[in-house]
Amino acid sequence: MFERLDPRSPVPLYAQIADAVRMAIAAGEVSEGSLLPSVRQLSAELRVNPATVVQAYRGLEEDGFVATRQGAGTFVQAVGKDLRTRERRNAARRLVRDLMRDARRLGLGPDDLQDAMDHELNGGGR
Amino acid sequence: MTFAVETDGLGYRAGKNFELRDVNLRVPTGAIYGFLGPNGAGKTTTIRLLLGLLQASGGRILVLGEPMPQSRVSVLSRVGYVPDRPHVHPTLTVAQSMELHAAFHVRWDAKWADELQQQFRLPRDRRVGSLSKGETGKLLMLLALAQRPDLLVLDEPTDGLDPVVRRDVLEALLAYVSDRQASVLISSHLVHELERICDWIGVMDEGSLVAELPMRDFKNGIKRLYVTGAPELLDERAPFTVLSRGPANAAVEQWLVRGWVPAMRDHVTSLGATVTDVIDLDLEEGFVELLRSFRDRP
Amino acid sequence: MFKAILKTQWQWTRMAVLLVAIAAFAMPLVSMTARIPLNQPRNFIANMQTWGVGYVALAAALGLAVAILAWSSDHRGHHVYAIALPVARWRYVLMRFSAGIVFLVPAVAALAVGARVAVSMFPIPQGLHAYPWALTARFGFAAVVAFAIFFAISSATARTAAYILGAIAAVFVAQFLTDAAGLQWQVVSHAVDLVMAYPGILAVFSGRWALIDV
Repeated sequence: MFERLDPRSPVPLYAQIADAVRMAIAAGEVSEGSLLPSVRQLSAELRVNPATVVQAYRGLEEDGFVATRQGAGTFVQAVGKDLRTRERRNAARRLVRDLMRDARRLGLGPDDLQDAMDHELNGGGR
Repeated sequence: MTFAVETDGLGYRAGKNFELRDVNLRVPTGAIYGFLGPNGAGKTTTIRLLLGLLQASGGRILVLGEPMPQSRVSVLSRVGYVPDRPHVHPTLTVAQSMELHAAFHVRWDAKWADELQQQFRLPRDRRVGSLSKGETGKLLMLLALAQRPDLLVLDEPTDGLDPVVRRDVLEALLAYVSDRQASVLISSHLVHELERICDWIGVMDEGSLVAELPMRDFKNGIKRLYVTGAPELLDERAPFTVLSRGPANAAVEQWLVRGWVPAMRDHVTSLGATVTDVIDLDLEEGFVELLRSFRDRP
Repeated sequence: MFKAILKTQWQWTRMAVLLVAIAAFAMPLVSMTARIPLNQPRNFIANMQTWGVGYVALAAALGLAVAILAWSSDHRGHHVYAIALPVARWRYVLMRFSAGIVFLVPAVAALAVGARVAVSMFPIPQGLHAYPWALTARFGFAAVVAFAIFFAISSATARTAAYILGAIAAVFVAQFLTDAAGLQWQVVSHAVDLVMAYPGILAVFSGRWALIDV
């Protein structure tokens, strides 16, 4: 779930963690009711400040993706279809935003990207 | 806000050369404070002064609210220290070192110490002097953590350790911090490592504390702009400071600016240029730029 | 805390204590094997007194070794570990000192046993008496004094140790200079007398150290 964590990215770490959890939930990788790693566990595993994990979990709770039960942990909530769809859309937009930023830096425009996209989709460059 | 560490006008002189000048350090309680600076900047000296290993030549030191070095016995019982060079007795075994440390620290958690010893795979009956660098680093962290301190002072705890050991050491540290809400002062050269875990940053250079601010402010403070159509000369009245500029590729220039807010795009547009991207610098780049701009000051 | 200091300091000291203990046990026995005829009490005593020097040296060596070994590991690490411990400095020094005193006991006990055995195993000339306990007590006391002095030097900072050694050197330099100036001043011997003669603390090292005496 968290392989792509990048401290150098302009996106703050807590947001990256929250995004990763949201995406996993939306894609059905984690099912409703499953227990997320504890703050202690996750901060140690990812080697990030525990406060970062707390912030991520808090954000997820506010958005309704998870719920924290005192003494038990943080659990994945049932997520409605539209929420999942919206999350998938957000994830795709994030990917494209990153892609376009990198492209701009290289001096490539949307047309270059479109060509490349078509090429890839047609099985080229394998 | 309470502070785990507070210094006021801290100064130190050794011989005729080296000086620590007017250092005003503030480590907020519960923070993980990253202590950055080039070699010889004074980080280790500052740390030694905090723990009463050196005598300051001026200024005031408060650690966990109590003055140092006057209250050193009560303060040191609550501080876990990992020094820049191993300080444990080399002829004692791992088990004996743990026993000795336990005897002096009231809050020693024997169960966790044993768990860490197994997790770190430290051979109980091997002499400390014959441990590898990685094993020694793990032992030092074990001793500091199993004490269950309120403050951890770590002087380059992962220096010279391989990535696997670094990960083990940091994992144990973070597990403790999240359990206990302890404060941490950690100095390191491995800026990328600090970037993940620190919420405060203090930068030292040539005996002074050059900057001290929350991590997010540090990262927001300096940005990299990608600009197209930039004019040759820049207007003096720019609301931001351009630290440096150069070509990123044929069409785009790369600027390093300080004090940027999104509303300033209009100013750039008024110059006939366009900002295509605004990137946060990572900690290492920000640190280097900060030092460069600090040293270039008139 | 003291128990932990005792345990770890013993680790570093035990070899030296063992060696001295063996020597302390053997010395009385060996001294009695000189095969001096029993009708020559004067020679007998002279032999005993020669061996007396051995006991003095052994006591001093014991004190020196235990004192140095008390601090050698701390010195190696520049005392960083000790200073970072949450214990008052004086208390820490006292613990090291007390542990050292305890470590003197085995060697002194070994001498007691060796002297007692020697006296019961070998005959002594008419009119002479054996003083195994007196010898042991003297040895023990001398070891304590030697230990205390070397401990003080060893636990001091390099600067203080330099002062002490410098003072000793100054006495010798003074002797040299006064000699060179043609003055007949016995600087060194006066200094030694001052320190060694009763009631100077080092008086224990002079005088009669004999297992068998009149």
